[in-house]
Parts: sequence; structure tokens; C-alpha cells
Amino acid sequence: MTRLARRARVELERGWRATRIAWTATCVWLREKLPQWWDRALGRDPDARDYSAIHLRNAEQIFRTATTLRGLLLKVCQVVGTRSDVFPPEYVRTLARAQDRVPPRPFAVIRELVERELAKPLDAVFASFDPEPLASASLAQVHRARLVDGREVAVKVQYPDIEHIVRTDLASLRRICIVYERFDPQPLALLPLLDELQKHLALELDFRREVENAERVRALFRKNPDVVVPEIDFAHSTARVITMELVAGIKANDRAGLVAAGIELDEVVQGLTSLWNQMIMGLGFFHADPHPGNVLIQPGPRFVILDFGLAKQLPKGFGLGLFELMFSMMTENEAAMVRAFQELGFRTRTGDPEEMTDELFESIRKDPIVSVPSDFVLVARVFALLSGIAHTLGGRPNTLDSLGGRN
Amino acid sequence: MARLEWSREELLEDVPTDEPLFAGGVRCHGGFAGGRYVSPRTANRVPAIRSWQERLRSEGQPLVDVPRAFVPPHYPNYPQAKLLLQEGVRDPITRSLTLISIVEGFGARIRDLALPDLRREVVEDIAGTALAHLGGGLFEAHARDEAGWRDQGGHKQMWEAARDLGLAKPEIPDDVLLAMMGGNGRGERRRLFPELAPRLEESIAFLANVMIVEIFAEDVFEWAKALLGDPEVSAEPAGAPALVAHIQADESPHVEYLRTALSELRARTLRSADGKRELAGREVVDRILETQLRQIASTRPARERADVQGAIRLALDDTPAAAQLARRFESLDSGWTFPKPDDERLVLLAR
Repeated sequence: MTRLARRARVELERGWRATRIAWTATCVWLREKLPQWWDRALGRDPDARDYSAIHLRNAEQIFRTATTLRGLLLKVCQVVGTRSDVFPPEYVRTLARAQDRVPPRPFAVIRELVERELAKPLDAVFASFDPEPLASASLAQVHRARLVDGREVAVKVQYPDIEHIVRTDLASLRRICIVYERFDPQPLALLPLLDELQKHLALELDFRREVENAERVRALFRKNPDVVVPEIDFAHSTARVITMELVAGIKANDRAGLVAAGIELDEVVQGLTSLWNQMIMGLGFFHADPHPGNVLIQPGPRFVILDFGLAKQLPKGFGLGLFELMFSMMTENEAAMVRAFQELGFRTRTGDPEEMTDELFESIRKDPIVSVPSDFVLVARVFALLSGIAHTLGGRPNTLDSLGGRN
Repeated sequence: MARLEWSREELLEDVPTDEPLFAGGVRCHGGFAGGRYVSPRTANRVPAIRSWQERLRSEGQPLVDVPRAFVPPHYPNYPQAKLLLQEGVRDPITRSLTLISIVEGFGARIRDLALPDLRREVVEDIAGTALAHLGGGLFEAHARDEAGWRDQGGHKQMWEAARDLGLAKPEIPDDVLLAMMGGNGRGERRRLFPELAPRLEESIAFLANVMIVEIFAEDVFEWAKALLGDPEVSAEPAGAPALVAHIQADESPHVEYLRTALSELRARTLRSADGKRELAGREVVDRILETQLRQIASTRPARERADVQGAIRLALDDTPAAAQLARRFESLDSGWTFPKPDDERLVLLAR
């Protein structure tokens, strides 16, 4: 294929993805809005309507689009699929399938990439390599394999064209956010969040960085026998392939599986909260993607942490600032909450802290936050994911206990 | 007899003040009336506690207390802390004052204590007691005092302000939170009375624990007032210890209502979970209190002391004449030793 033809194909693909995403967003928005407008026109209360069929139809369309296009949309679906405390159950049930039941790429594509990356035929490295993936997700899929020396391993392989896909999707989502914000003002500005997502996806796509992150988290918890980080096989890992120890466990949100294994659900919820609080507030370096497919539970409970693509070093003082924010929220101290927000770097449009004190969230609606500290976005995402797992397991973590308030 | 029944709103009511208390630029609870500091939420809480204590005394019942001889001194002690500050080793003191502020704030957890229905668990009537008012204002007042509420700072913010005044807004060490973390919420207290409903035993243990910690805090106040009031090392030798003194004054009702409630339980009879047995409150409260006291007065301070010593040694290693300074530091140790858990003198005192 000539360079020009390749370029044309890329542009066509990009156009097709953008159109499909825009079409899906428009359908979803209109399906939600049209009945509301209709009800209002007839003088009926739109909130009295049963939206479950609409939600289900929207969720199915989003899931179809995401699994067809993969990439960034799958990432968004993964987050929504864990937020049973925020999104309607139809969205959560449908989009939760994006966590690890994404249609995999053909083995031939994977094999070619692994051989190219390791610069060896597959048989020269692996005694066996399961063509069926253990899990397939938004940016990569994982295969079970056995090295020629007999070790059982998991091989994580990045999709070959993922960088281009992510770039296209970000542009599409940016356009959608601009339109949504114009027609349906959100309490929180969406574009700064998208900027952050863009920054972090670039980091996530470099597997060498992921290996470094895994080693760092392992070092942080070296004295904690309840935390398991799979050993990395450095000899067979590159920027697009990671070979690591195969570790078994039950998915963190598999309520039935955990109960069957005799694992206390409350201990799982409390343990997860405690581990991430330690990373974020105590150690200042954290795994930023604890969706249920990335945390396995073993009896004990012991916590197997997987996939370190998204990890972050926090700036000095951030942990204490976040602690102050959470603490002030839990102790109903609004003045301290506002001070903590400011110390963390939040700025409102007017910059007047008094505006935030009386009715904090109403004030934010009136005076939107225009500058979100970048680190806060990732931290908020972590707590959203953990909160989703806790909700699924029917537990409520005692955050003060996990912060050290236990006597 | 004095009034024994109080509403939640009455127990949370403030004494009117002429001037609010500001600490480090933060509006805090309490205030000044006629130039004197007035603790928050004490308009009715203090007289109420006094009347419940009077009732106990009139019934011939003692008030439980903790032997002062076993209150561990703060580590490092005042002369040691002063030496560190004079030598420019500030992190251990900053860390210590910051942890005190955080621990104080955690006191707000008391409002989350899920008390059992004491009217069912206790054989005798509990009307007109502190026990009957725990969830009806006493816990809430305690929580607000410790962590602040709405637009007012509490002890957490007052300790921070005292630290920032005395040490001229020091840089907070990065590891300050890690020192408190590490637990995952697991690990339960050993049951001493399996025949009691678990929640009842847990509640008594919690109350005993908080009371002991509050009494132990007395030494922390004296240490902080001495250190932050020392013009040789404090940037605000008047303002900083004054704030600590205000906190100390606010804490007095906490100790008193907890002593009262535990003493009231001690004077009554508790029902077993199956309702078939009755246990003397005295037997239950004394054993739980003694167990808690032995644990807190021995294991925990020793561990905390070891942690602080480690941090101080690390800090001293950074100074030029580390060995010499370490010797001077150790020579100032008070020599106080922690009681062993089996120390027979470590018994509950009821007076």
C-alpha cells in the first residue's frame, strides 16, 4: 500500500469513528431529552416517567459502539459500569461487560505483535501460549502462557493501532463535551477532565512505565503480606508487551465468588479503601485504575493488584491536603472543607471562598469550578471505582478507620 | 434534686460570648465573655453532668477514674523537645503536634458509635442519667468539639494553629499520615463477656478507651503548654500555649461525662444477650476498663515511643554533631517506665 493510500485509509477510519461516536451521542441525548420535552409540553412531570427502557436502549447502543470501536470509549464504559451508586442499573449492568469481556483481537494479530516486540518466534520464548485471552480490555489483552523454563505467566499485549484510535476518540469526545456543555450545562466543567484523561492515556500506553510502576508499588508494600504484585519477567517485557507471573484470584466485585470462597465482603471493602488511602495519602504514589478487573482477591483476604499502566506520583503536601478535605467532609466542617479545596488548588470563577461556604454544591453549580488540580482528577476516579466496588459488594467502608482513626 | 433530663438542643447550647475565638485566622468554637475563655456547648452540658454526678454520689456510687501514676508522659518530654528545637531538629516536634491534631479530630468518630438500646440491655431504669443522653447530645457535642462543625474550627484546627504559631508555620513532614495508617480495619477486640450482646460490650469498651485516652491527654496539654510557652523556642510564647489551655478546658466535660456514664453502668445490672442471665455492671465495667487500661498504658505507648525514637534518631543523624546531641537527648529522658500488663497496681480506681 502506498503512503498516500495508507494516509487515506487512516483518515477514512478516523472519520468513520468520529461519525459513529457523534451519532451515538446524539441518539442517547435525544432519547433522554425528547420524552422530557414532550412531557413538559403536555404539562406532565417528566420525573414521573419510567426511563428504564430508554436507559437500557441507550446503554446497549453505547456498548455496541464501544465494543466495535474499542479504545477510549471502552475505558469510559468501564468507569460507568462500576458506578452503581451514580448511574441507573441498566447502564451499570450493560456497560460493566466492558471490564474484561471485550471481544478480543484475533490471535494472529497478537502473535505477530509479540514476535515483533520480543524479536523471536513465539515458540522460542513460550512452551505454550493460549490463543484465547484471559481478558481483553480497552488498550490491551492478556493471554495465559508457559515460558520454556516452565513458569506460568500472563502476557499482556497492547493492541497494535491503539495510539491512533485513542487520539481520534479524544477529539470526538472533546467535540461532544463542547456541545453538551453548550446545550445542557454541567455542574463540573468537562473539558478540563478530558485534558487530564488525554495526558494520562499517553502514559498508560507506555508499558515500560507500567513495569516501573509495578516495581514501585511492590516496594511500597514489601512489608505487607496482604498485598500481592505479580513478579515481572523483565527479559520478556517491552514497551508493548509485559510478561508477568500468573496470579489467581477472584474479581473484586464478584460477590458470589467471594462469598463462596468464604471471604468476608466487609473486609474486602475495608481493605481496598485502606490500601488506596495508604498509597494516596501516606505514600504519595498510587495505582490509579482499581477497576474490578485489576484487583483480584485471595482468601485472607489478600489483594492482588494488576495493571499498573496508570499510576501517579503526587506532589508534596497533596496527601495531607486530600486528607483534610475528606476529614472535613466526614466531620461536617464546611469551613475546613473550603480551605482544603483551596489548598488542593481548586479555583472557582469568582475566586471568592465565601461563595462556597453556605450551600457548597449549589454554589459550585452557580460558580463552576474552572480549574481542577490535575492530580485530583485521577484520585477522584480511584475513589469512584472503589466506591462502585463497595456498592456492588453491599459494603460501606469506614474511611476514618482506614485513615488510622481506629483505636 | 437538680434537673436530670435535657434535650439534645439544650446539651449543644453555647454560652453567649462577647468575642469569638480566632486561631491561625480560622474562626473556632467557644469565645470570650468578660475577657475569659468560654468552652463551646457548655451552657447546659456542664450543669447536666454535674447533676448526674450528684445523683450518683447521692446513691452512694463512686466515679471511676484512672490512676494518674500510670499516665505515660509525652515522648519526647519537654526538656528533650526543647533541646531538639534549639538544635534545629524540628521535624519530630512538628510531626508530634500534627499527629496530636489529627488524633483529636478523630475524636469526632464518637458520633458514629452505634449504641445498643440501653433501656433493654440494662435491667434498672436509666432515665435521668448521662447514659440516657449519650446519643441525645453528649456524643454530638464531643464530636463537634474535636473536629469542628460547620463554619467553626474545633480542637483539630486549634492544635494546628498552636503548632503553626509556636513553630512559626513549620513544614509538615511527608510521612506524618503514614505513621497513622497501615491497619485495614481488621482485627477485633477479644470478647471478655461472650454472654453479653456484642454491641453492648463493644460500646462499653469504646467508652472506656476514649475515657482513658482523654485522661492521658492531660500530660500532653502540660507538655505542649510548657514547650510552646517557652520564649527560647516558641515564636508565640503567649498565644500558642493559650490555645492549648483552651483545648484543655474544653476537654474537661468529655472526661466527666464519660466517667459518669461508665459509673452509672457500673452501678446497674446488665442483661445477657439471651435475656436469661444478669451480670453485675461493676464486674463488667471494671474488667473492661482494666483490660483497656493495661493495653493502652503498656503496649501502645511503648510502641509509639519506639516509633518516635526511631524518627528522632533519623533526624539526629542529619545533624553535624549527631552522636553528641543524641547523648544529650538521652540524658534528658525522664526515666519513666511503662507498667507491664500484669502489673498488679494497674487496677481501676473508683472513688
